[in-house]
Amino acid sequence: MMTLESATYSGQGDPGAYRRLRAPPPLTAGASDLMAGLKAWRLWTMLGWNDIRQRYRRSTLGPFWITLSMAIFIVLLGAIYSRIFKMDIAIFLPYIAMGIITWGFISGTTIESCSAFVDGGGIIKQIRLPYSLYVLRVVWRNIIIIFHTIVLIVPIGIIFHLKVSWVDLLVLPGLFVVFANQIWVGVVVAVLSTRYRDIVQLISTAIQIAMFATPIMWPVSSVGDARFIADINPLYHLIEIVRSPLLGDAPALMSWFVAIGVCVAGYLIAILLLGRGSLRVVYWL
Amino acid sequence: MAHIVLKDASVEIPIYATGNNSLKTMLLRKAVGGRFGHAGSNLIITALSGIDLEICDGERIGLVGHNGSGKTTLLRVLAGVYPPTKGEVTVVGRVSPMFDISLGMSVDATGIENVKICGALWGLSPQEIEAGMDDIIEFTELGDYLKIPVRTYSAGMLLRLSFAIATLRQPEILLLDEVIGVGDAEFMKKARARLAKIASRASILVLASHSDEIIRLFCTKAMWLTQGTVGAFGEVDAVLSAYHSA
Repeated sequence: MMTLESATYSGQGDPGAYRRLRAPPPLTAGASDLMAGLKAWRLWTMLGWNDIRQRYRRSTLGPFWITLSMAIFIVLLGAIYSRIFKMDIAIFLPYIAMGIITWGFISGTTIESCSAFVDGGGIIKQIRLPYSLYVLRVVWRNIIIIFHTIVLIVPIGIIFHLKVSWVDLLVLPGLFVVFANQIWVGVVVAVLSTRYRDIVQLISTAIQIAMFATPIMWPVSSVGDARFIADINPLYHLIEIVRSPLLGDAPALMSWFVAIGVCVAGYLIAILLLGRGSLRVVYWL
Repeated sequence: MAHIVLKDASVEIPIYATGNNSLKTMLLRKAVGGRFGHAGSNLIITALSGIDLEICDGERIGLVGHNGSGKTTLLRVLAGVYPPTKGEVTVVGRVSPMFDISLGMSVDATGIENVKICGALWGLSPQEIEAGMDDIIEFTELGDYLKIPVRTYSAGMLLRLSFAIATLRQPEILLLDEVIGVGDAEFMKKARARLAKIASRASILVLASHSDEIIRLFCTKAMWLTQGTVGAFGEVDAVLSAYHSA
């Protein structure tokens, strides 16, 4: 029987100082990795910002390209799809806009997390940092992006006379649950796709299909009796808790239940994988 | 008090050839009851095998051995990045693993931005980075170059900057892997002096090198690694002669 070892950390901002403990069970190892990762927020926010800056360096508009390209995309899609579904553009464009923006965050974090460890390989092989940190960096990067796109609700609201109400504030817990959810998703895909390199392809295919299978570019009402295909899809509920408050409706209680339930179950899986992975990921790079 | 203990520590690294860490192989193995499994069975490299080692406060250990003998693997174990696959490792103290000093550099960011990012990676707090800025400006002699992207730097300038950042923090345990490399003669002198300073202040130094001269200069003890096992450990001259006569 092999004795496996893992490290725990003492103090934030000083990842170099640690003691070894005797083989903690995966759940403990995973939970302490995640906690240490969250504690090192200074580092992952900095790395995430740097990734964004790097991407838009030397461009005049900088990260506002994110806003601009999303605006163009939404206007085109809103105009075309509102005709396809014969819906009022004043209702349909805000719907499709908030759906795509939320979806962009979900798909971006999922796909980019696949390479979170591989991209951080140089650091992983030299400095012992919590593995969750590399996923948090990806999530943070995408949080910056979604804040650049979600502001489009302001011009959209003005143009299409969306009413401002207290319900809109529900977007904050909604976003929080979606952010939290994507951390566990990121951890799971990061560990698995480092070990099995074709998971990346699998995920990008799945994401493409999910985009069309989830009510993002089509309204739930358009499928008539078959609305169960939305209800059984956790992604629909995740999008709903962000989209519907912004459109002025409180999300259905079921959407909250599903989103939070998936999140709790997901964290269990992610923490277990992280606990096992923290002993092996470096050898898979 | 910095302290390092290894008890029967081994590192076995699985090597996944192309297609071997693919999902297909795994699924096929499940589906066909292992027939394909043999064709794609994992190769395992035993990079370190049953290492027992204790390093106490104040000791300076030189690692010698041929390429592939396990020096870098051992340093990675001490850095905490390679969890031993067997045995036990205890490391107490702030570690600076200096294997690749250009760690975390982004070429499109300015010198100053890189100081902040890389400094944070090396475990420095924002206050420590702020406090060390003057030191970096003075040591690198880069002046206004620090305000422009490092992509415009020459190799020598980049080395100055990354070296200055990596050596900003005073570790309790310093791990060096052939760091002392290229650069112009004048910078080399400065770099050696700076490294010698933090090495002398560190409680523990572990240094892998192919140069006997450097091992003799810095170390109080030496360890000869051969094929992942300890060939000899102890007094520097004795270990070096055992290594060279092997």
